[in-house]
Amino acid sequence: MRVKIAVLDFPGSNCDLDTIHVLNNVINIKADLVWHNYFKESKYDGVILPGGFAFGDYLRAGIIAAHSPAIDEARVMLEDGRPVIGICNGFQILTEAQFLPGALLQNDTLTFICKWVMVKVENNETAFSNKMNIGDILNIPIAHAEGRYYIENLKELEQNNQIVFRYSNENGEYTKDSNPNGSLANIAGVCNLERNCIGFMPHPERASESILSPKGTSHGKNFFYSMVDFIQKRL
Amino acid sequence: MTKVKVDENELNVDLTQSEVEWIQNTLERNPSITELGMFDVMWSEHCSYKSSRPKLSLFEDAEKNYDYVLAGPGQDAGVIDIGDGYALAFRIESHNHPSAIEPYHGAATGIGGIIRDILCMGVRPIALLDPLRFGPLKGNPHSQWLFKYVVKGIADYGNCTGIPTIGGEVEFDKCFESNCLVNVACIGLGTIEDFKHAPSRAYNPGDYVVLMGGSTGRDGIHGVTFASRTLTELSEADRPAVQIGDPFTKKMIIEATLEAIKTGYVRGLKDLGGGGLSCALSELTGDGGTGAKIDMGKIFTREPNMNSYEIMLSESQERMAFIVKPEGLEEVLNVFQKFEMAHAVLGRTDDSKILRVYDGDNLVVNLPAIALSESPTIPRTEKRPDYLDQLLTEITPEPSKKLDEIIYILIASENICSKEWVYRQYDHEVGVRSVVKCGDGDSGVLRIIGTDKFIAASVGTNSKHCYLEPYEGAKEGIVEACGNVIANGAKPKAMVNCCNFGNPEKPESFWYFAEAVRGMADCCKNLRIPVVGGNVSFYNEDEVSNTAIKATPEIMIVGIIEGEDNIITLPFKEFGDDILIIGETKAELGGSEYYSVIYDLEGGIPPKVDENQIKTRWNFIQELYKKKLIKANHDVNKGGFIITIGEMCFKNELGAKLDLKDYNNYGLRDDELLFSESVGRFIIETNPRNHNEIMKLAKKFKIYVKKIGVLSQNPTIEIKGLKSGKLEIDALKMKNLYQSTIPNLMEI
Repeated sequence: MRVKIAVLDFPGSNCDLDTIHVLNNVINIKADLVWHNYFKESKYDGVILPGGFAFGDYLRAGIIAAHSPAIDEARVMLEDGRPVIGICNGFQILTEAQFLPGALLQNDTLTFICKWVMVKVENNETAFSNKMNIGDILNIPIAHAEGRYYIENLKELEQNNQIVFRYSNENGEYTKDSNPNGSLANIAGVCNLERNCIGFMPHPERASESILSPKGTSHGKNFFYSMVDFIQKRL
Repeated sequence: MTKVKVDENELNVDLTQSEVEWIQNTLERNPSITELGMFDVMWSEHCSYKSSRPKLSLFEDAEKNYDYVLAGPGQDAGVIDIGDGYALAFRIESHNHPSAIEPYHGAATGIGGIIRDILCMGVRPIALLDPLRFGPLKGNPHSQWLFKYVVKGIADYGNCTGIPTIGGEVEFDKCFESNCLVNVACIGLGTIEDFKHAPSRAYNPGDYVVLMGGSTGRDGIHGVTFASRTLTELSEADRPAVQIGDPFTKKMIIEATLEAIKTGYVRGLKDLGGGGLSCALSELTGDGGTGAKIDMGKIFTREPNMNSYEIMLSESQERMAFIVKPEGLEEVLNVFQKFEMAHAVLGRTDDSKILRVYDGDNLVVNLPAIALSESPTIPRTEKRPDYLDQLLTEITPEPSKKLDEIIYILIASENICSKEWVYRQYDHEVGVRSVVKCGDGDSGVLRIIGTDKFIAASVGTNSKHCYLEPYEGAKEGIVEACGNVIANGAKPKAMVNCCNFGNPEKPESFWYFAEAVRGMADCCKNLRIPVVGGNVSFYNEDEVSNTAIKATPEIMIVGIIEGEDNIITLPFKEFGDDILIIGETKAELGGSEYYSVIYDLEGGIPPKVDENQIKTRWNFIQELYKKKLIKANHDVNKGGFIITIGEMCFKNELGAKLDLKDYNNYGLRDDELLFSESVGRFIIETNPRNHNEIMKLAKKFKIYVKKIGVLSQNPTIEIKGLKSGKLEIDALKMKNLYQSTIPNLMEI
């Protein structure tokens, strides 16, 4: 089954080419880089909103992109169950568009942070984690200034099992030291109730080739394999 | 300042009286106010290199003498052929003056400018590196303010444009307190075809001149003349001369420009930096042997009622000028429309060799295109400062502290400690090319996707050494930067420099510049490294305190690593391995961190560079790489080799058992042996079973190599064989001091 994924290119997206590179050359599936104004949902089985600074993050990270026509197209995909994935800035856009609950605030360090961290898998029944095991600890980098996840009703999020990934230490413990940006309950990624929309602050596309990883890992691949698997099971 | 009468007005210009006369004679009339402004800008030191040009001719002609050099000095960036059809462009320049009074926007627009220079060569910018200088941080809120906001300016701008900042260098010294230095370097990668597509010249009459990008405003007018003066108390009033950056627009410019070049219809392009439209239009036509007719009314302005003087001199950021083939105009404009970038067709090139600018029916500029870029040079006098004789004779005081105490103080000194506080704020991974992470190597290493080739890049120089002996110091800068890329497994390929000096009108300041250029030229010739570009920043002098900066010829070296197996990193890997030192240690403590931090001394004899020996050492290291005999490598730098060994222990929390009894060839004192900064030494980690083979090769190469210890599991550095007996250093305490210094010092 041929899987076709779109990587949305907003003005200011800057992990667009990196994500396309990994999908095309590492995961070996067909992915198109699509300029936001030309995006038509009907052509694609899934969409990724890549990292960067869409519309310069002016006004507030992700908010201008969240009101663009491309997001209306993505909403059609969201509603019929196709995967809609937001990485870093893409996650910020998805919360601003209210595809996902919560908000991403300025890091508690008040600075941009570029660093390799660990995340632990909490839910492996989503379009971005179904090829992983619960409790897997993944080595992956972050690079953001506004990545501190916050939500009013944490309990509801937990009860609905919408927390997909949390920052942890090497032993899988959720400590303060392993939380790079001050996210509530160490949250690194969340999903919607239907499990087809996921937002994730770290960058799996930067962790998909062992040569780029300080520990020689390539855990990022599992995110994209999950997406492909999710699509194949739907088709 | 010279007063010139134009029409009814009297105008103050930075041109000299004889320059004004030269202009009047050449034009056979009085220049218009706009024309005079254009000459004023284009003939500023910053744009015209009128003081430095005679000295810069000392450099070997890179394009003539090295077959892999595709573009040398005089172009927007140096370009080399790195094989497999790829071209690598790189350049470094200064943004010191703006950053000294407005650190955030000054640094940010510096990044903006250097990105445009690389883009002009038709290739994609893929990495940034930034050498910086500030006053000491400790207890100095002004230095902390400058440091914090320069770093933030670089981070916000670089991160947003999606170009990773992969390296840099920071020094702190009192002389930079008012005159901080912000040098910015950028590397671009493309195919050789990409590069050939887009010269920064307008060779063809009849092509369209198109302006694309941000609107033209009143910011940055006379930015370059401001950069060609010393800083005074009045400099604060020059803040409007600092441009405001917009990294989002820059990102759009990068994408729109690269896509426009792909159409095949762009025949030339030029960024609008210092000197704005005046500079771009005159260089495009003047250097291309054409002329142009420009309709000023087409230029989109940010505010109403801007006059021709303001429009031609504005240095508003984020603008590019394109020379487009007539048959492709529509297609190129469609690309700009896709990216929603403002653009305007300003006019066409012609064969008149005259640059004409019309404001409605008024001809406001009517100049021979070449005149603006042909400023006369100014001969400057050189004089060695009198104070040097005394400084060079300073001798090492008797140590007032214990050696272990000194080591802990040195590792925590601002110039040696970890710069993680800086690089954590830079996105150093975007682009999925960064293979050796910040802190893991002496240089930044990038892969070239689709090949087994890697780029290593390093920047640096030692301002304290250059202050004492600029000739040797400049050489050292080159040897160090090359040493950094070599330590990561690369062969150095080419160099660009950024010369930061004081007021060239003062003979002492100009002597430093002349000596440094002489040193760089000799060293590059001897080491066979082409100089493919440079930038000169004079007037880094503060009239309030009457201090000039220490001479700072920043060196950037790029090298190539062939094959993933050949990438070497700095951390020690395995206990039980041997620690070897390559190169002897001499009593060269002049201008060292040890002198500065422990005794507050600036003098003494700084290290000397022997290029022949250095070259053999490099060949020897390449031979060891070929035979896969090196597991870790780190170039010895500030603080001496004991600091180098400490830094190599940190990551994997290993220790070392050292015995220096047979290493002290010159009968040095303990402090001289441990802390001397002799140039061109390396510490390497090797497997003990390879010892004989390495020593045999050393003999063959006639290289001084010595095993000085072994790695231990216990994170302690034990030193035997010192005159004062045994020494024990806690490597974890050292690591903690190394990492915590800057975060602890930053109070704001």
